[in-house]
Amino acid sequence: MPAPNPRLAALRAEIAALEGGARAGAEVIAFGDERLDGRLPGGGLALGHWHEFVGEGLELETGAASAAFVARLAAPLTRRGELVWVLRRDDLHAPGLAGLGFPADRLIQVSARDDPEALAVMEDALRTPGVAAVFGEVGEVDLTAGRRLQLACEQAAATGFVLRRRPFGGTAKAATSSAAATRWSLAPSPSEPAPGEFGLGAPRWRVSLERCRGGRTGAWILQAWEEDDAAHPFRLVAELGDRDVAAQAPLKLAG
Amino acid sequence: MASLGLFAGQKATDALALVPELITDEADPEGDLAALDALVDWCVRVSPAVAADPPDGLLLDITGVAHLWGGERAMLDDLLDRLARQEIPARAAVAGSAGAAWALARFGGDRGVVPPGAEADWLAPLPVTALRLEAETAAQLIRLGLARIGQLAALPRDQLARRFGPAVLTRLDQALARAEEALVFRRPATPWFARLAFAEPISTPEDLARASRDIADRLCARLLAEGQGAGRFELAFHRLDGRAERLAIGLSLPGRAPAAIARLFAPMLETVDPGFGIEVVTLAAERVEPVAERQISLASIGEIAREDGIAPLVDRLANRLGEGRVWRAAAYPSHIPERAVVRQAPLAAASGAAWDAKCPRPVRLFARPEPVIAMMALVPDDPPRRFRWRGRYHEVRHVEGPERLAEEWWLRPPGSVTPAHARDYYRVEDNTGARYWLFRDRLYGGEEPPKWWLHGLG
Repeated sequence: MPAPNPRLAALRAEIAALEGGARAGAEVIAFGDERLDGRLPGGGLALGHWHEFVGEGLELETGAASAAFVARLAAPLTRRGELVWVLRRDDLHAPGLAGLGFPADRLIQVSARDDPEALAVMEDALRTPGVAAVFGEVGEVDLTAGRRLQLACEQAAATGFVLRRRPFGGTAKAATSSAAATRWSLAPSPSEPAPGEFGLGAPRWRVSLERCRGGRTGAWILQAWEEDDAAHPFRLVAELGDRDVAAQAPLKLAG
Repeated sequence: MASLGLFAGQKATDALALVPELITDEADPEGDLAALDALVDWCVRVSPAVAADPPDGLLLDITGVAHLWGGERAMLDDLLDRLARQEIPARAAVAGSAGAAWALARFGGDRGVVPPGAEADWLAPLPVTALRLEAETAAQLIRLGLARIGQLAALPRDQLARRFGPAVLTRLDQALARAEEALVFRRPATPWFARLAFAEPISTPEDLARASRDIADRLCARLLAEGQGAGRFELAFHRLDGRAERLAIGLSLPGRAPAAIARLFAPMLETVDPGFGIEVVTLAAERVEPVAERQISLASIGEIAREDGIAPLVDRLANRLGEGRVWRAAAYPSHIPERAVVRQAPLAAASGAAWDAKCPRPVRLFARPEPVIAMMALVPDDPPRRFRWRGRYHEVRHVEGPERLAEEWWLRPPGSVTPAHARDYYRVEDNTGARYWLFRDRLYGGEEPPKWWLHGLG
């Protein structure tokens, strides 16, 4: 970031306000690293909006790494209110979430039959006062549904997390333009256990910010902090060049 | 019938001899029972507590309901008139005990309403068969000259019990409202019951919506006045043809807000088939419990109470999607992974149990483990270096484990517990960084080779 200049900062804030609607001074979840926060308007993941997370390759089916990532990311929102997770398949395992520092015993889980129902439940939950965050696992969010989600988020200042997930063996839907504030592509990344230690290291994610209103895209490797009392959920391990991400074509999947 | 010398229970041949042109038909006890059952449903318009009394009776608990008609007599007349209009011949009586009502409806004057405490006077002239006694006992009593209930009641109780068995005393006490009688009601008797009757039958969706709102107002006003709230409401639309359409909603926290209750019923109203019209609407509240009036403290201003935010949301979702579809996970003290989580009501009090933070668990757990083809283990006992799952190969980079989880032997019959059912769980990470929770079923070296399963991800 350039040297602090009060006039410049004021102008920037004004531009941000024009670009992002009434976002000036809005609250965010900061990642705690300028290399990532600097790309996002407001210096972090904006609250009162919805964000889209798309798994890469097999991750789009299993939804395991993305669920873990989002749960860690959203854990601080517990203090602000209730959390609701809308599922299409009931495979979310609460003890696993609890192990990530997420208050899984407070989480209200809802099982929906299909995408329209899941989106309707998300919208209803986002509009409810007292709900801080709503997680939804859906196959696709079309533009209309996305706008409705955004209106619901703005109404009650709740934050939505949409985890794109397709049925096992189903066909992937092409990423569409959507009303999400940010779209992230997520994949697990090999962990690096400390030398001389057996077992698995702290989980890592290859995270790329593919779309961001009022911000810039980028790609990073993030690792979960081992300590539970860390100020931020992730530690930035490496920043990936944009070209590197572009080269990572989606894996061709067999049946 | 009596003028021709016919009576119920007569032999068909005797009856035909008396009246040759008599039309006879096969007895259909099952059909009669089904018809009685349908009548139970129909009678719910009068009171929520209706018990069938086969083969030909119905018992209604009308405690706290008669005022809706302006008295027991008016209620009785209305009920019998409606039955007569459907060409169902019926006799009825109102009394303080089921036994007395039974006796008066069958042996007393029709449409008798016994004032409280007057059962003994009203029953005295009736025959002892009105006491619902065994046929032999009744016959014996009559043979001894004890033909009337009044005579029986005048005898010393201990002698009565010694000579005719305790059943006689029980029946006598039940009839005279001195002993309680357990009736099997279709649904439990509830004083929390409201009823709306219409002069003109209604059928449009708007009318149904307004009726559900009005009746919720009525019942909730009573709940509010007595400081109660209910966890479940059942709304019934009684149609002109005698059928009833029922809707039920549940609340996560006991409530009494009429608008909220009507709103929960609103999406279900379109499933109601009004037929030729609906003449009566009833609403019954269940799981009624005291609800404290909420206090707004200075500290809580700005915070959103559960009653305003999350509770209505949970109610909306649970009633729209089904009750099993909204839950909160709670810890259950079991080390078996699939048993460590139980679903509890979303707003139930926390149990205080927690999962063991020292045992890492996957984020996704399969309801049933999926088979995995394991390849290339260095040592037969080791987790595979490579495995195939759902048609794809995964190269294992890092392994953590094993965590041996044995079966819960204390739940099994002694003797059937063997170590062969133990599962060894491994957390493995493949070359992409994806994490899997594998387990090996059976120990190596048994009769069958061990099998590998994938139980969770992440």
